[in-house]
Amino acid sequence: MKPAAFEYIQAASVEEAIQALADHPQAKILAGGQSLVPLMNFRLNRPGMLVDVNNIDDLATIAVKDAGLAIGSLVRHQRLVEDALIGDRLPILAQAASHIGHWAIRNRGTIGGSLAHADPAAELVALMIALNGTLVVRSHRGVRRLTADEFFLGYFTTALEPTEIIVQCEIPAPTGRMGFSEVVRRPGDFALAGAIVAQSGAAGWVTWFGLGSRPERFSVSHWGQDDGERHAMLGELATRMMLAEDEEYKRDIAVNAAMRAYRQIKEGK
Amino acid sequence: MDQAMRPQMMGARVSRVEDPRLLSGQARYLDDVDVPGMLEVAFVRSPHAAAEIVAMRLDKARQHPGVFAVMTYDDCPVMLWDRAEYDIGQPCLAHGEVTYVGQAVVAIIAENRYVAEDAAELVEIEYRPRTPVLDMREAILERPRRVHAETSNVFFHEEYATEGFSEAFDRAPHRLSATFRTNRQTAVSLEARGTAAMIDAASGRLTVYASTQSPHRMREDISNLLDIPEQLVRVIVPEVGGGFGMKANCYPEDIVVAKAALAYRKPVKWVSDRTESLLSDVHGRDDIHDVEVAFADDGKIIAIRDHLMADGGAYPAYPFSGAVGETSLAARVLTGPYDIAHLATVIDCTYSNKVPLGAYRGVWGPIASFIQEGLVERVARYLSLDPAQVRRRNMIRPDQFPYRNAAGMPYDEGSYLASLEDALKLIDYDGFRRRQQELRTQGRYLGLGISAFVEPTAMASSEAGSVGYESCTIRIEPSGRVTAALGLGPTGQGHETTMAQILADQLGVRFEDIVVLHGDTDSAPYGGGTGGSRSGPIGGGAALVAGRQMRQRLIKYAAHLLEAGEDDIELGHGEAWVAGVPDRSISIRTIAQTAYTDVKKIPPGLPIGLELTERYLPKRPVSFSNGTHIAEVEVDIQTGIVRVTRYVVVNDCGRLINPTIVEGQIHGGVAQGIGATLFEALHYDRDGQLTTTSLMDYLLPESTDVPRMVIKHIETPSSGEGGIKGMGEGSLIASPAAVANAISDALAPFGAMVDTLPVTPAMIRAMVS
Amino acid sequence: MPTEEARTAIELNVNGITHRLDVSPRWSLADVLRHQLGLTGTHVGCEQGVCGACTVWLDGLPVRSCLMFGVQAQGHQVTTVEGITPSTGLSPLQTAFQEHHALQCGFCTPGMLLTAQALLDRNPKAEEGEIRAALSGNLCRCTGYQFIVDAVLAARDAGRDA
Ligand SMILES: Cc1cc2nc3c(=O)[nH]c(=O)nc-3n(C[C@H](O)[C@H](O)[C@H](O)COP(=O)(O)OP(=O)(O)OC[C@H]3O[C@@H](n4cnc5c(N)ncnc54)[C@H](O)[C@@H]3O)c2cc1C
Ligand code: FES
Ligand code: FES
Repeated sequence: MKPAAFEYIQAASVEEAIQALADHPQAKILAGGQSLVPLMNFRLNRPGMLVDVNNIDDLATIAVKDAGLAIGSLVRHQRLVEDALIGDRLPILAQAASHIGHWAIRNRGTIGGSLAHADPAAELVALMIALNGTLVVRSHRGVRRLTADEFFLGYFTTALEPTEIIVQCEIPAPTGRMGFSEVVRRPGDFALAGAIVAQSGAAGWVTWFGLGSRPERFSVSHWGQDDGERHAMLGELATRMMLAEDEEYKRDIAVNAAMRAYRQIKEGK
Repeated sequence: MDQAMRPQMMGARVSRVEDPRLLSGQARYLDDVDVPGMLEVAFVRSPHAAAEIVAMRLDKARQHPGVFAVMTYDDCPVMLWDRAEYDIGQPCLAHGEVTYVGQAVVAIIAENRYVAEDAAELVEIEYRPRTPVLDMREAILERPRRVHAETSNVFFHEEYATEGFSEAFDRAPHRLSATFRTNRQTAVSLEARGTAAMIDAASGRLTVYASTQSPHRMREDISNLLDIPEQLVRVIVPEVGGGFGMKANCYPEDIVVAKAALAYRKPVKWVSDRTESLLSDVHGRDDIHDVEVAFADDGKIIAIRDHLMADGGAYPAYPFSGAVGETSLAARVLTGPYDIAHLATVIDCTYSNKVPLGAYRGVWGPIASFIQEGLVERVARYLSLDPAQVRRRNMIRPDQFPYRNAAGMPYDEGSYLASLEDALKLIDYDGFRRRQQELRTQGRYLGLGISAFVEPTAMASSEAGSVGYESCTIRIEPSGRVTAALGLGPTGQGHETTMAQILADQLGVRFEDIVVLHGDTDSAPYGGGTGGSRSGPIGGGAALVAGRQMRQRLIKYAAHLLEAGEDDIELGHGEAWVAGVPDRSISIRTIAQTAYTDVKKIPPGLPIGLELTERYLPKRPVSFSNGTHIAEVEVDIQTGIVRVTRYVVVNDCGRLINPTIVEGQIHGGVAQGIGATLFEALHYDRDGQLTTTSLMDYLLPESTDVPRMVIKHIETPSSGEGGIKGMGEGSLIASPAAVANAISDALAPFGAMVDTLPVTPAMIRAMVS
Repeated sequence: MPTEEARTAIELNVNGITHRLDVSPRWSLADVLRHQLGLTGTHVGCEQGVCGACTVWLDGLPVRSCLMFGVQAQGHQVTTVEGITPSTGLSPLQTAFQEHHALQCGFCTPGMLLTAQALLDRNPKAEEGEIRAALSGNLCRCTGYQFIVDAVLAARDAGRDA
């Protein structure tokens, strides 16, 4: 399990990084390496060049933007968990990030890497879709802004061009109250199924992740009067997800995860 | 009473002498063995479950910069099992055909592992795929075909029945049937396998560093298979990062590496990566049992009938087929700690296009316990009786000893009923039942699973080989310090500590003044290695016997030099003295100096020096430990997730050498049992591809998955040396049944009964919907 | 034939000592530590970030050395198990591991120590649940974790008293 040979450059700035990507069609960004390097070790991925962005401090910023936050792509998961501004403005992000892998993984893995990797069970992908965040991506051709819905195309696929780098994720503050719940076999695993829900007034939405080819968000017109109604409503919504045969059993689990996420809101957690 | 009669070290919670080097990063494992010019190996492995090899093109790989050599079967034409115990022997590198995904086909020997893997990708092999044989029941019927054209898929068949079985079975008032299944699992020692071989220029001998549990067996295999005189092979086992039975085998890679070192006269090393490990370490378990049980109105079990099947993989693993071990041992201990008069078993072990099946801690045990405890649970539920009560009714009674079970196995006296009662008390059985009722009304499903077990240990023949004895060499050096050596192959069990504890008591020297060697065939006496829970009872027995011999010699010296009677001599703390007259003493150091340098003073009849080797062969062919585990779980019926919330163990492995080490073994085995019940499964798809080739797919229990355990020891001594019984496997034998029964208990309102391990969230969801 | 693989000259600070090395960019930090610097206390168990045996500190925080390339560690402080071992004897945490039988084969131990020590450094009052959560990324196949947790709790309490 050793990676194939590659050329390596350390980019000191975003400009250097995008230049390298423009000059080398074989190049790939190396951020936290927590997804890319395992794939390279398995030789399932063999970039001819790695453009290491870990030294670009400009990408590691967290700032208030409008009602939400603008988070640099190099911000690491553990910082999402611990950062005071996030805890204050977007606690759901800290909560989601706390479920990613283990401490050592969170110390390296980055939000940009997680979004570019687009694992359908990734908490941060789910959150971006749930809150309909915007990804700011750059290449030598310029800047593009893509909504999460435009960006995530499916199973490990995104609208990112090989020459593009994610520089920032803009996450609007949620309008309602939110809840998060995921079902894992072992703490730290990718979720079998998870749900992020929001409620404002009677309505809201639910985003399911960990099943299907990417997280999906569904509007909820009415959260229902009681658990029974709510369960039936969510069950109905869940039938709209396209699932592979061997994932079928997860549909009910997803519904139950959404019930739990909703209960969090009600319990004021 | 002298010190040996009042042992101070045996039974004490001594900290391990192994630890400082392991804690400071100084320990040397296989991959830490590095010598100048060492080459590294990468294997090209079969991507097909079954295929004919049509052509191989190796030129590109050979010409790749940094590559030293490329080996195929022609360069290493060696078959494991050449000695024809089975009709089929495995070629160390595939020969004309491949028979499982992961089988080694070509070996690349290169400057380093990176380059070797580059070149491995350049090897082009043309395969003509065949239909793989993947299903055990089909394989028995020779469908879809034979794995090996020349021989039947069923490579081991055995039948047994107690006299009068049919009548007893047919006349019984009640009968139930069930099919039990354990999926394939594997040991996943955290350190994967590895081998390094080199010729020692000074002596011309082949030195093989091997991460193995059986150093002498490995030397014998290398010597035989590569036709090198045994005295010209030295096997050195460095620190081993876990083995669990999996490292008891001699593997194709071991032979290829040794062959490469010989052929190219270069130091050569291969270290398995994790994917290779999942693809090529022996797998374990993989049993299907069709079982019927007959019982009386009061829950007394009358008879068990079992058709035992195990999928042995493409070849019988060398030198121990796990399939034969899984089944033939299970058949002999299927009645567990219960007095069940009648048993009928039929065994079929089959070939398939999967990785060879070998040993994983507790070979046979998890499935046999799962069945035996699963049957008790089913009987109890069928008759609406309390499962603890049904166990009491069936348990072997103390007045039945000497006892042989229905398969003829002679049990040791133990604490069969006592361990059950103690465990029920520890978990507060009645309190639990009340809590369980209460919580069910809130939609929470707690369950409690009991698993009373027997653990046959120290068997004359096990995965560690068929050496039924163990050897211990003791050399008291001229300074009075002690060098001891045993033929064991520890993989973390702490033998350097436990054997020194035993010796310290016998020799009357300080524990710190003893060093215990093992794992180097040049210094260790011939022995069976470590496996089958033999090192405590047989290895410890050897240390006791040798220690006692040496003690006698020391006493003779002291008596002679102090001019006292032998009966009056006491030993301790590095001194010998006359009982009641502590002033009349002599140090062991002085005795040792006399023995080596002042030889005229040696007592008449004694040899020069203080060195001896003793062997210990237990009188009984097996030594039975026993105990009871109880697990409490909570099943989240909405998600299918199970958490083990409480766990108690009452364990009886005879006299304890070091209770802390015993507890460590129990903790580790229970964790593995939780893994076996909730997480661990190797999956093959319809084409025979192993789909679980990383630790993201093959899930091991983490610190958050294993609850705190409460352990109580009972000590019913064995009749063997020191009263010691083995205990390395019992915790993994008992724990899957405990956790599985707890899940069944939790889901009793749904009428569910677990019959397959592991129990996945999907299975739980299916049981409750 | 020798390889023609390009090497890069790097400076690596490990356990407080700066080393000048020629490395191939694809060599993992784990391999560089083990095979170039002879610091074999860092173990490799999976090369995909799951097992934790290769855990080292990067600027004081636990990371997987199998998922970093040696070249990436330039400009950072790397600490391995050798670096948290006193020049004589054992550290309080190591001593607690020995006293509580927190290791059997020892292969997971260096990673466990680095994770646990980093946790105690940051959270000297860590409770059992926090300890288990922090250690959940370090697999141990031998011990069932209980004695490891006990050792960390004991080291925590000893630190508190000190
Ligand atoms: C043991 C383990 C457990 C894990 N558990 C979880 C989990 O539970 N949940 C979860 O969500 N994740 C989990 N992960 C994955 C982890 O979150 C990764 O950090 C993340 O998926 C990738 O981030 P990275 O910074 O490491 O990216 P890298 O691995 O460096 O890169 C991943 C991909 O993104 C690209 N990329 C990276 N940065 C950019 C950028 N700025 N612009 C464009 N492309 C970029 C790379 O080229 C590459 O293709 C786990 C990983 C491990 C090893
Ligand atoms: S080797 Fe790095 S986590 Fe397993
Ligand atoms: S002590 Fe062996 S893996 Fe932890």
